[in-house]
Amino acid sequence: MGMFSMMQISASALTAERQRAEITSANLANAETTHSDQGGPFVRKEVVFSATNGSLFHSALNEASGFSAQPPAGSVQLTDVVDDPTPSVERYDPGNPDADASGYVAYPAIDPVHEMVDLMGSVRAYQLNASAISAEKQMIQQSIGILKTS
Amino acid sequence: MSNVSLGAIPNSYMPDPSSLDAGSDNGGLNFGAVLKNAINSVDQVNANAGAQVSNVLAGGGGDMTGVMIAVEKADVSFQLMMQVRNKIVSAYQDIEKMQF
Amino acid sequence: MATYPSLDVLQGYLKVVTDRQQLIVSNMANVDTPGYHTKDVDFQSALRAVMNSDGEAHLDPAAMELQGLPERPDGNNVDIDHESLKLSQTQLEFQLGVQLVKNKFSDLLTAIKEV
Repeated sequence: MGMFSMMQISASALTAERQRAEITSANLANAETTHSDQGGPFVRKEVVFSATNGSLFHSALNEASGFSAQPPAGSVQLTDVVDDPTPSVERYDPGNPDADASGYVAYPAIDPVHEMVDLMGSVRAYQLNASAISAEKQMIQQSIGILKTS
Repeated sequence: MSNVSLGAIPNSYMPDPSSLDAGSDNGGLNFGAVLKNAINSVDQVNANAGAQVSNVLAGGGGDMTGVMIAVEKADVSFQLMMQVRNKIVSAYQDIEKMQF
Repeated sequence: MATYPSLDVLQGYLKVVTDRQQLIVSNMANVDTPGYHTKDVDFQSALRAVMNSDGEAHLDPAAMELQGLPERPDGNNVDIDHESLKLSQTQLEFQLGVQLVKNKFSDLLTAIKEV
């Protein structure tokens, strides 16, 4: 299996974590949004990661493909963005234009602390995989250094 | 030519020693055969390395370390062949200079 | 058989190290994937096999799951710090292998040219 496939695996993690950070930021930004396009309050989104299956070693497909578009086994992908089914929080505010008949306004069930922790987790994972890419790049450079012996 | 058998050099780099006995009238030493043998084995190592490099350049990106090692092996083989050639040529010239 | 490792053995060593690095990288990429379990190879026995068979062993070492790692609520048991440590370690092992290969070639070239 190739060194370049390793870089693809780490790169897939960078993409996935960045997407997760985007979703989390959107949740944070809309923590108080009472009116969205679909009517009703903003719905909190969650991400679903999944690992690409397959044998990590000597898969015939991987040997032949090199820089193919298909992600190598072991990489991670954002497969789905799902709505959080938690019901929205009701607050009493009759003066608000979005208030219903009884004067309650529905707010998204978003806890800023929870979202911040998620965001920090994304950042840490991103850094981890970025350092993995540096390590892989260094390994390839060292390999090339074999040719400089004479 | 028999002192080239250093333990460190794997047999695949060396010209076939049996070619030294490729009988001829100069007392058992056939310079041409030895040189030809050396060139052939270098050719083979070179072709193998070349194939692997082409594969990497075409996007195969497989066993990077293996390719590097193969290329360096080809280079070392070539150097060995050049030294063998130089020795043979210089030995031949020495013989030519002998006056009887 | 305590001679200096041949080029083939060194190549085998580098291959084992590279394979392990690949698993480590996969683990790091999947640190947030629910249900993902840390994978590793039986490094020691793979290395021993390479040393004993003079680099000919092309076992595809089975990627096994490590036992005894605590699982987080989402089923993921990848330990970031542990994997970082393994990454550094494998990097150094790779560097060692490459340096040994370079020395080997350098010795050969010296022997050839010093006639």
